[in-house]
Amino acid sequence: MITKDKEKVQETTVVGKRLNRLDGPDKVTGKFVYGADLDASGILHCKVFRSSIPHGRIKRLDISKALAYPGVRAIMTAKDIPAHIRYGHTLKDEVVFARDYVRYYGEAIAALAADTREIAEKALNLIEIEYEPLPVITDPEEALKPGAPLLHPDWKEYTGNPALIRYDNVCTHASIDLGDVEKAFEEADYVFEDRYTSQMAHQGYLEARAGMAHVEADGTVVITSSTQNPFGLLGNLSEILQLPTSKIRVISTGVGGGFGGKLDLGVEHFVALLARKTGRQVKYLWDREEEMKAAAPREGSVIYVKTGIMKDGTIIARQGKVILDAGAYSGDDTVIASVAALVIRGSYNIPNVKVDSLAVYTNKANCGAYRGPGAPQTYYAIESHLDKIAEKLNFDRVELRKQNALKNGDLGPTGQILESVSMEETITKVVEKIEMDQPRPKYTGRGLSCAIWTSAGGSSCAYVQLNDDGTVVLITGGKEIGTGAITMGVAQIVAEELGLDITDVRLVTGDTHATPFDFGAQGGRTTFNVGNAAQIAAQDVKWQVLQAASEKMNIPLESLELQNKKVYDKDNPTTNISLAEIAADRVWNGGPILGRGSFIIQPTEYDTSTIKGGVYPVFNFPSFHTHAAEVEVDPDTGEVTVTRYVAAQDVGFAINPTGAEGQITGGVVQGIGYALSEEIIYKDGFVLNPNMTDYKMPTIMDVPRIETILVESSSKVGPYGAKGVGEAPIILPAAAIANAVADAIGVHIHDLPITAEKVLKAIKQKQDK
Amino acid sequence: MTKVPLPLKVNGSDYYVEIEPHRTLLDVLREDLGFTGTKESCREGECGVCTVSLDNKTINSCLLPAVAARGKEIITVEGIAASEELHPIQKAFVDCHGLQCGFCTPGFIMSAKALLDENENPTEEEIRSYLAGNLCRCTGYNGIVDAVKQAASELRKLNKV
Repeated sequence: MITKDKEKVQETTVVGKRLNRLDGPDKVTGKFVYGADLDASGILHCKVFRSSIPHGRIKRLDISKALAYPGVRAIMTAKDIPAHIRYGHTLKDEVVFARDYVRYYGEAIAALAADTREIAEKALNLIEIEYEPLPVITDPEEALKPGAPLLHPDWKEYTGNPALIRYDNVCTHASIDLGDVEKAFEEADYVFEDRYTSQMAHQGYLEARAGMAHVEADGTVVITSSTQNPFGLLGNLSEILQLPTSKIRVISTGVGGGFGGKLDLGVEHFVALLARKTGRQVKYLWDREEEMKAAAPREGSVIYVKTGIMKDGTIIARQGKVILDAGAYSGDDTVIASVAALVIRGSYNIPNVKVDSLAVYTNKANCGAYRGPGAPQTYYAIESHLDKIAEKLNFDRVELRKQNALKNGDLGPTGQILESVSMEETITKVVEKIEMDQPRPKYTGRGLSCAIWTSAGGSSCAYVQLNDDGTVVLITGGKEIGTGAITMGVAQIVAEELGLDITDVRLVTGDTHATPFDFGAQGGRTTFNVGNAAQIAAQDVKWQVLQAASEKMNIPLESLELQNKKVYDKDNPTTNISLAEIAADRVWNGGPILGRGSFIIQPTEYDTSTIKGGVYPVFNFPSFHTHAAEVEVDPDTGEVTVTRYVAAQDVGFAINPTGAEGQITGGVVQGIGYALSEEIIYKDGFVLNPNMTDYKMPTIMDVPRIETILVESSSKVGPYGAKGVGEAPIILPAAAIANAVADAIGVHIHDLPITAEKVLKAIKQKQDK
Repeated sequence: MTKVPLPLKVNGSDYYVEIEPHRTLLDVLREDLGFTGTKESCREGECGVCTVSLDNKTINSCLLPAVAARGKEIITVEGIAASEELHPIQKAFVDCHGLQCGFCTPGFIMSAKALLDENENPTEEEIRSYLAGNLCRCTGYNGIVDAVKQAASELRKLNKV
């Protein structure tokens, strides 16, 4: 179901259509090449020796037996890396190999390269190590207490973004202060407070991290991997390899799922270092145990939320404290803390807001970006809290949300002026579709959740090359990771601008030496930003085509139009010339036609006095979302079954409605897993379930058909009015399902995931009362 | 380790390899014979990306020693289309947006083929039940169910001709 803003509907032939993705045939025949498929004759295989304890001092590390094992070509440890090298995007606190200390179970200590995968695995077992165990901190609230041992005693020496506020075990403290929250709590008729906790969760991409590297004669390191962000790796690789960024070439091959987990270094630095040491090509494919112990999962968190509300239902104050369990190094939580701070206010026009959002070091794997970073747990907290308030004050939970919903012209949490706000429309449509008011059987419940979300910025570039047969090649540093952003969205934009079919567009993407810059497949930004760059490049091609035709036909440019792969004289359409003829003439005689597009969103204005320590201070061209879940709870086992799920998303304009719906259905199911079953379980710093059997992702049997509603409230800057689409669908399911479960059993569960055990315990406790 | 001779029949063609006897069918297909359409992920039979057909039954090729496939008919995703054209199941996965990153797709296609070989007109519930051994992290499964329905309908038409 799509609802369109009728005045803004444009006449289009390619964008807005449900076209098949360009990489489909390769993917269904097994021809598509992923990082995990990379191979070459004589290639060496890398394996990484990882810490078997969560915290300790390395007393002895002996690699001699492993190095002597036949077929082992090299082993590298911290000794091979200059001691001053620490890397990271916003805070340089991470090391390639643990030096003297290990800070989490699974931390890399050594990497080896061997003739075969089997030899590499056997040699790992020959590395000898002795530790002196140190106290383990696994609870971020413990890490915050005065006198808690410091995980990074040298934290002051680390360099990073100067905007970050850091102290003790806190690697980021972002805060928002809007209005006067203290005064508003005094004036409020009621004040409510709650505490929520959430788990660590893995992105669950099915292709483990994979890549390979070799070194060219001039020292240039060439890395091919399934990264989502080839240009984004260059800075850290440059630090680690001590090379200028231009002497590192990162090529992104097929990506078997990313969801943020393949944005940062995983295999690339290891294979690059070993390729340089051995002079050979080296490949590294992670195994699932490594993925669960040492990847870049969503952080666990503790969230305190406090709300001041008037008798008439107006929410006047919101305070929050977010404590992110960042793990042993800051990872991406320096940025995520800011995002979570923005989210605490939710999609409501609350005038007084105070948030403190902290990322805290603990002895766990360091956490990274996972689709909608910082948001699923924060929306879960604030939307559950809101339902509890509605219950206590006997407000209708739908009306309470509508009454306080953001509207056009309202201010965002840091003072931005909001435009094309469709919050209320998404609520109305979802409530109607899920039949929120219909009577329900016992132990069945319905729940609602609402959100505002961002379309990430960053630069994007594209070339469009016109081939001599009148087709084009789109050349961009952007990367298709499965979403369809490029193989549907951007390809459709290029085809639309030039009057081509989508199949006339060929793609060359994600290579730091062959394609122009892009900020990476992250933050729901690709269709929005690469789409804009490609649109500019295609318009450049069109202009050059018309100019060439004007010269060739001796007709003024203004009288010409490009349609149906021909240039026509508007006054006399029988006079025309084919696009292919112009293209061939230019390729062979007149100088080939190449269009160029470079794009960056102008920064959204906000009130800089409202946020401190924040490195993600504002929602770019925000989109609006409402989800609703219907669940059945088995009162004997506590098991929750999602029986219906409806999601309405404001996509601005659906470049490909099928693609947009696919993002929603996929994100929702991933979110259902997060809500009900997925958790990387830690005990005393050890991961108890480092495999896909005990890390429970939803199968096709576990979920209903997801129902989607596309709302199109055009954005000013996105191509054809599009907004970012891919990230947001995961941010609301935990909130909607938690509220549905509470509706079904009459108890709110304050800890994710909402497992059968927790539900059964809640039912029993209620019965005992 | 001593290698054993092993004749294998894959997608209708005969192959001969000499392998260490503990190696899995998945590794031999991918590393020795170049059938990389069959994917590798969990290596413990949980995710289904390595699903192939062995004498018309689907198996997780990561769990099967290759020597156990001796004398049996192995079909991989590379072998299900009769010609250059896509098999109706493959076409349906493209048409119905039954794939995104595509890493799980070869496994789903092999499972879907086994389902439709057994049951030419499965209900949505039967589809979901049969495909529960294959994980997909991208699509949310709507497109996969739609693809299997479309393929079933196409195959019924073809079988009637």
